[in-house]
Amino acid sequence: MLRIHFLTAATALLACISAQSQTSIATNSPGGQPLSNRIVAYTIDARLDTDKKSLDATETLTYKNLTTQSLTAIPFHLYLNAFRAESTFTRETHSNGGVRDSETDNEYPTEKLGSITISHIDADGYGDLTSAMHFIAPDDGNAQDHTVTEITLTHPLAPNDSITFHLAFHDQFPLSIARNGYKRDFIMGGQWYPKPGVYWHGAWNCHQYHATTEFFSDFATFNVTLTLPHRYIVGASGVPTGEIVNPDGTKTLSFHGEDIGDFAWAASPHFTITDSIYLSSLGPVKIHVLALAAHPRAGQRYLDITRKTLAQFDRLYGPYPYKIITVIDPEPDSEMGGMEYPTLFTGGTTWFRDPTYITDQTVEHEFGHQYWYGMVATNEFEDAWLDEGINSYTEVRILEEILGPRTSTFNRSYANASDAELQRLQYLLVADYDPVTRWAFKFRDSTSYGGVTYGKSATLLLTLEAIIGRDTMDEAMRTYFTRYRFTHPSTEDFLRTIEQVAIKNGRATIAGGSVITSSTETTQVIHDHGAAVTNILGQGPGLKDSAGLQTLRPDLAALFNTASDPAVVPISSLRPFFNQAVYGTQTLDYEVDSISSNPIQWWLPEPKDKKQIQYLSTVYLHRKGDFILPATVEIFFSDGTRLRERWDGVDRWTKFTYTRNAKIVSAEIDPDHIIPLDGNFFNNSYTTNWNPTPARKLTNLWLSFNQFAAQFIAWIV
Amino acid sequence: MVERRNIFLHGLSLTLRRFPALLWTYIFNLGLAFLFSIGLNHQLSSLLNHSLAAQRLSNGFDLGIVGEVLLRFNQSPVGEPGIAAGHASIPLYLLIYFILVPGTLFCYLTSAPARLGTMFQQGLLHFWRFVRITILFLIAAALILQPLNFFQTKWSDFVDDRFVGRPAFLCISGGYIIVFVAATVLRLYFDLVEVYTVQLGLICFSNGKPDRRVHRTLRPALRTLFARFAHAWPIFIFLTLLGLAAVVLTARVSMHMLAQPIVWPSFLLAQLGLFLMLFTRFWQRGVETALALQNPIALPIATVTPLNHSGSRIQLISDPISAVPEPISDPEPAPPSLDEPDPGVFHHDPKPPL
Repeated sequence: MLRIHFLTAATALLACISAQSQTSIATNSPGGQPLSNRIVAYTIDARLDTDKKSLDATETLTYKNLTTQSLTAIPFHLYLNAFRAESTFTRETHSNGGVRDSETDNEYPTEKLGSITISHIDADGYGDLTSAMHFIAPDDGNAQDHTVTEITLTHPLAPNDSITFHLAFHDQFPLSIARNGYKRDFIMGGQWYPKPGVYWHGAWNCHQYHATTEFFSDFATFNVTLTLPHRYIVGASGVPTGEIVNPDGTKTLSFHGEDIGDFAWAASPHFTITDSIYLSSLGPVKIHVLALAAHPRAGQRYLDITRKTLAQFDRLYGPYPYKIITVIDPEPDSEMGGMEYPTLFTGGTTWFRDPTYITDQTVEHEFGHQYWYGMVATNEFEDAWLDEGINSYTEVRILEEILGPRTSTFNRSYANASDAELQRLQYLLVADYDPVTRWAFKFRDSTSYGGVTYGKSATLLLTLEAIIGRDTMDEAMRTYFTRYRFTHPSTEDFLRTIEQVAIKNGRATIAGGSVITSSTETTQVIHDHGAAVTNILGQGPGLKDSAGLQTLRPDLAALFNTASDPAVVPISSLRPFFNQAVYGTQTLDYEVDSISSNPIQWWLPEPKDKKQIQYLSTVYLHRKGDFILPATVEIFFSDGTRLRERWDGVDRWTKFTYTRNAKIVSAEIDPDHIIPLDGNFFNNSYTTNWNPTPARKLTNLWLSFNQFAAQFIAWIV
Repeated sequence: MVERRNIFLHGLSLTLRRFPALLWTYIFNLGLAFLFSIGLNHQLSSLLNHSLAAQRLSNGFDLGIVGEVLLRFNQSPVGEPGIAAGHASIPLYLLIYFILVPGTLFCYLTSAPARLGTMFQQGLLHFWRFVRITILFLIAAALILQPLNFFQTKWSDFVDDRFVGRPAFLCISGGYIIVFVAATVLRLYFDLVEVYTVQLGLICFSNGKPDRRVHRTLRPALRTLFARFAHAWPIFIFLTLLGLAAVVLTARVSMHMLAQPIVWPSFLLAQLGLFLMLFTRFWQRGVETALALQNPIALPIATVTPLNHSGSRIQLISDPISAVPEPISDPEPAPPSLDEPDPGVFHHDPKPPL
């Protein structure tokens, strides 16, 4: 018997009511206003064959040309074609490794073959465009790549005009590879439909799929229906709007999404549902967790950490505007865990009680992408650090709030580890190979991509936080989010926002800059790079208002108040840091070279009262790396005195000398431990009170391990 | 008639009565590891002793700092060679173990005191025989365990396609348990081969040479394994698991002491676990010796004749393996015995000839 759930009708009714009361179905947008420019509108009707792991669909896509150019061709991403031996993705993972699952064998497994085929495409007013479709490879010229196709229009699409395409396509999902495919009876529909590139900075931006790249797309609305066997439970981007039970044992689910850049879904017959409502500052948000039955505790765990993360993001950076966030618990041992899509992300957990906080970290990180990728929709091909890097930084920041600063990864009475340390270790592995701003597919290899994009970015932003202060950094991040949500900002947009807020709060100074007033004329404002270096910690003189806050000089107001204007090139006291940490590959390593205390009158016999002896004490500091950053050093004397000195770090070394009636006990660079970008913490300090315990502890572990290994191997005798 | 004692207790009694054998092995285990850790400790000390950053390992155990130490080590010029050199204690221990095990078995079999000299002398005598047994063991392991591993991989894939979570873990663990059981049976068998090899070595041919033929022990060991499997294998597996449990338990407790600013409690606990693991292994050897004594390789009419200070040796009056010819079929005849010393050889007259 046909059972029709009247949810669709109810949802439609709700939609009408919503429209009347100026609210949105999918977002908590005040007044129901669109949050983004909604360049694309998708309507997709898909039928999933869960036995063949394939999908057939029709897609209606309306693209609005909001550029000032007439468009003669539109490129489309066909990501599923990456899962073939001939593709650039496989070529790169085979030779240099991938972020997830590298095909290193010389035979491509047939079960990992994936494809997307457009069987037909036409456009209203343009006729049948199927024959006008041809593959392009803008990044490497690999004619066999097939992850980007271009459709040449029969006549140009004028600015402010729209074009509506009608497509029919077929997907073949591969066995679990790079965020996609199936594992057992779990199927992940990510990057599963033809999606146009982004017209950005005066040209089409539609990169091929690479081993280390993610995605970039315009904001859109989605109306998606998915037909699949009745026993399956589905989580998808957007809000569910209906369910129809069909007589053939299938059901048709419908979803609606607004102001999102992508649409993904996940289906499994083994999902259990755990729901909750979080009241954000914009309205209620449904936390919809689909956890596998094999992970009985996972639902509540996902729910708890998602709720806490939502609260922290709301507090620190701004409200989450969507009405739902769906958390998917993927199949174990699949390559689909820990992945973000708009209003949906996948986690990853274990059936046993995991003593670490890896599950919580994964959830926090992937939720964070709702902000840094989902809403602040940066180009993940070219500015991967702006989503993964910033997100790794906020992951550290928020997990510190939730789980503790030193215990956010592992918290036991006998040992601890923090997320910040893990990020730093990732960075130290590949500290000087690539700058964070390198395009994602141009990194040395996947290890360098991971270490730099995640680890170094997080570490440099933690260092920046130490330089400008946590409050200022929080404010800058909030400003950046508020200013650039639902847009596609670039690295300079981010850095200038930081500079602007830091200068406003007196945590950085204006060192100079240029305002390009026309294509030929450049107004030089200030150039004082030396001052920029020395003032990097906000120590330099600045213009301060009565409240003590740094104010902009009138002639520089344009410089720092037009953050997204490419004609403005600011130079604040933070620029040297940015040039080295963000744009450069310099490594930061300061060391206490030596400390010494010798009696000034060394030729005289030692008096009984040693307090009478006057010592000449010297501390030598050495800049071992090529990264210049002013350093603070704390010198501790045997009489309990602590002195702090500052060194600009420009020269390779410096020394401090003291004449006191006490010896130096220790000297420590960065005594507050706030510069994690320093590549070696151990040489940052030297103390005469030596402590053998750390070395003994590690030696004991080594010794016991070797003994055990020896006994174990001796079982062959 | 051979006395049938409880092999479990008899094995324990043998182990305890020849306790120095275990003690010497443990001393080598610890001593070599200690010796090869000195360099590492020196390098760690130069990195950490004067650094305030290392204090997070003193009053706690910060895994981030541990990670950084490892990273520094790997990136330093002495890092990887230093670590490789640190592991050199393992092959050295293995080499010494090849000598100590036959020595220990000799002491278990003959009630000779477990002096280091005795163990080394007997160990060196049996060294190549034990090398041959180990090669045989590795070949047998490759022939038996490799196919089992192959099937285990297939089984894991099969399970992985169908199950997740605890059921998958249990199914895959079941496969591993089968491989483990096969490995223990194999090990028990070759342990018996080793005991019989030492026992056979106690038997001298009429010319006074010991029997060094390893292949002569394979069938008796198999016969004993089949005959006493229901007794021997449960004890073997119990002692294996007991040793592992001891090491896991002490490692766990020791791990919980990592954050303390003192190292010796953690060290002592870890050593206790490692010692107990070795103890259970020697107990297994004792049980296997008890089995061999109850099921001797042959029942010779033998006399035990003292063989210098290091132990005893059984000299055959009538060869029980009479069907087996002497390995050197036509030995060189013994030199004739003289009534008195040959004046041309031994006689020395201090007086010059007149």
